[in-house]
Amino acid sequence: MTFNQKVDLSKIEDLEDFSSSVLELLSNENYLRAEVQQINASQPSIQRIIYEADLFWNELKISNAVFALERALRINKNEPSVYLRLAHIKMEEGYILEAKSFASRGLMIEDISSWERVLLGVYLNL
Amino acid sequence: MNLLNSNIKKVLVIIALICLLFLFVFISVLDFKVKDKFNGALWTIPAKVFSRSLDISEGAYLDRNRLMQELELLGYIKDSEIDRAGKYKLSDSSLTLFLRGFDNDVKKQEKGRFNIKFNSSSKVDSIKRSDGISLDLISLEPSAIGGMYPAHMEDRIPLKWDEVPEDLVDILIAVEDGKFFEHNGFSFKSMFRALFKNVAAADVIEGGSTITQQLAKSLFFSSEQTISRKFMELIVAMLIEFHYSKNEIILAYINDVHLSQVGNRSINGFGLASEHFFGTPIGSLEVHQMSLLVGMLKGPSIYNPRRYKERAKKRRDLVLSILAREGVYSSAQIKDFKSKSIDVIAPRYGSKTKHPAFHDLVRLELRDNFVDKDLRINGLQIHTNLDPVIQNISQQNLRSTISRLQSKYKANLEDLQGAVVIANINSGEIVSFVGSSSQNKLGFNRALNAIRPIGSLMKPVVYLTALKQHGKYRLNSILEDSKFILDLPEGGTWEPSNFDNKYHGSIQLHEALWQSYNIATARLGMELGVSEVLKDLSSLGFKAEQVPLPSHLIGSIEMTPIQVAQIYQTISSEGFHSNLRAVSYVADVNKKLTWINPLNLEQRFRSEDIHLLKFALKQTFVRGTARGYSEKKIKKWNTGGKTGTSNGQRDSWFAGYAGDFIAIIWLGFDDNRKTPLTGRSGALQVWKAIMKDIDPTAQRVAIPQRVKYQWVDLDDGLLSGKQCPNSIFMPFITGFIPKEVSSRSKNCRISNMSYRKEIYQKVKKIAEGLSED
Repeated sequence: MTFNQKVDLSKIEDLEDFSSSVLELLSNENYLRAEVQQINASQPSIQRIIYEADLFWNELKISNAVFALERALRINKNEPSVYLRLAHIKMEEGYILEAKSFASRGLMIEDISSWERVLLGVYLNL
Repeated sequence: MNLLNSNIKKVLVIIALICLLFLFVFISVLDFKVKDKFNGALWTIPAKVFSRSLDISEGAYLDRNRLMQELELLGYIKDSEIDRAGKYKLSDSSLTLFLRGFDNDVKKQEKGRFNIKFNSSSKVDSIKRSDGISLDLISLEPSAIGGMYPAHMEDRIPLKWDEVPEDLVDILIAVEDGKFFEHNGFSFKSMFRALFKNVAAADVIEGGSTITQQLAKSLFFSSEQTISRKFMELIVAMLIEFHYSKNEIILAYINDVHLSQVGNRSINGFGLASEHFFGTPIGSLEVHQMSLLVGMLKGPSIYNPRRYKERAKKRRDLVLSILAREGVYSSAQIKDFKSKSIDVIAPRYGSKTKHPAFHDLVRLELRDNFVDKDLRINGLQIHTNLDPVIQNISQQNLRSTISRLQSKYKANLEDLQGAVVIANINSGEIVSFVGSSSQNKLGFNRALNAIRPIGSLMKPVVYLTALKQHGKYRLNSILEDSKFILDLPEGGTWEPSNFDNKYHGSIQLHEALWQSYNIATARLGMELGVSEVLKDLSSLGFKAEQVPLPSHLIGSIEMTPIQVAQIYQTISSEGFHSNLRAVSYVADVNKKLTWINPLNLEQRFRSEDIHLLKFALKQTFVRGTARGYSEKKIKKWNTGGKTGTSNGQRDSWFAGYAGDFIAIIWLGFDDNRKTPLTGRSGALQVWKAIMKDIDPTAQRVAIPQRVKYQWVDLDDGLLSGKQCPNSIFMPFITGFIPKEVSSRSKNCRISNMSYRKEIYQKVKKIAEGLSED
């Protein structure tokens, strides 16, 4: 897959191909994490919680970060920014199956941007 | 004579030396004990179990009835004036409440007054602080629902020095020991004054003990009153004063004193007393409330404000008068304090846990990570996922429905028992867990331990195994519900029958499920292979090994209600399995996070396969055994489910999801005798009553990309149209959509092309209208 090719991100095969190219670009986990942390939520309360979660995450307080993200899901289960973070944290912890599952669950959300879709697709390629 | 005198002197000196030596040894032993106790853990602190804390978020749905119930459970008082923590006021579109606030390692909420505005559809429109600042999220404090106690049953919340309000120290010193900062552990003046008064009154009306002496007595001695014990108490008090600062001593006293008794549970220390009587942390108490607690020290039982309100108020006012006399507060302030009513809350729980079945589950979950001793003595704070309001709804509706059924069926249902498990579909958090129809009774926990045949609750697993094979099975595939006799390898035969003892001939796959036909299911299951079906059952979350018996296909397999909840969690959550969890996290005595029980999401099935299955389970509500709900309600709840009745109607089951909740209900007898109930006439009635009270709102779930809907004729399963009678809009996997059109639908079916033409005409008309404007 090249970036000149026309892709249909609603097709899972195209999405996975495109995301694998993105994965190459973001082959450093820290780049990918920085990219994930750029993704924000639309709901203010979730924005605040994921901000706190990112702070915990950066301080390596992973349990606190996970707790905060789960709290966000309790408020709104259809929030791609939260699934992205959980997928990345699970990947960092070495739980690849779970990372993929969080990404898959995120991809089921209807109102999701193309970039969020591509990033979630990255974890399906692990 | 001189020699005699000199010998007597020698003897006396020796005796004196021996006495001194004994005194020295005695004081050394006491000194060792004092240091040992103070330098180690002064008290063993039981673990406390909390419900979840409710988040109120801008833009989120919030059921106002449930919110009111939650506030009442937390001891909030409805009032027109919201002037202090623990009060609320409700109008048509807004709620004003004064939050008590709380703080731990993972969640905190400032104390203060907030105004919440709702819109007409119960969404939170705005949250504002009393200074007008808009907020997006506030949280109610978690509710204490039980504890895990050491043998002595003493409970307390130990405070640190910076958590103790200055007012409390001032009140304590003024009332209990005015010279506390001046004496060295005892006060002869106070002792003699008390002695004089007691002799004059021929009774013990005043204690002359300083705070240090009281602490020494409480920590090291029994309540026995003898001269020798008083002497030892005095020495220990002096030793405490010698080794420790005044702040350390008064802090230990504040944390130690006994303030109430609830059943076997002893409420000790002002930290816990504050939560116990006012439902609020000590930092939020007002002077009149602290005065009430200090007043209770004289007699925790006789001045208990819940039992003897007037007597307790009189005692509080006496304390306030002392404070006025000692100049701690002005007369005007004291007048204001005295005007306050005694506003204690109902106790949250006594010595027994409020929800014994849930408590069992909590203990079971913690068993792998904590030793029992740690749970009883280290003051752990166990934060669970229990929703106290939903738990009450479950308990009440289980009880009331059973009693309604008993009135209907009379003696046939005496001793009928039941269990309820409710979990969050997406997260697996257990929000309600009831193990008995008798509330709060410890005993057999049916939700956790009753292993019973699940009847037709097994059928969705068989159909899921089929629907995974896209090329072979669709929802409209035709199954045979006709006489079926299976030769068993070990000899003999197995012949399943339907509940109505009839054969239904050729029927569509989806109908066989929502009509719960045993023979069609058994045939399908045998075609798929029992082992394949059991593999999927295991993927859904049922861990126990099973011998692959054909009868398992129609529900001879046995499970507990919580095991059923786990498999239906995976189904209701689009194939994403997450472990059911009662505990959310555990914090240590300093409120630092020590253990978290995280969401472990695992996609076990393709979401499109589950989508097809859920379509059939929805039909249970539209036209099957749970019919009777309006289209609007089914849409709002996004509901689906399955009834189950075991052989001989010994077990009545219902597993159903609505909104974000999956609820499993079981009814039956402990001795396994027959009931007159089916899944529909028994367990479903409990489910309906519970869901009516919860009335959840489902969040939107996207249709999987590979799923397309088509109109299908209900009788022959072939393509039909929206305008055709007897049609159903049914999901198919892209690439496996049937092509054959039903002969009955040829005239009423609008083809794709003519439909597009119709839309084109509509758009054209609108565009023409616009251009004319």
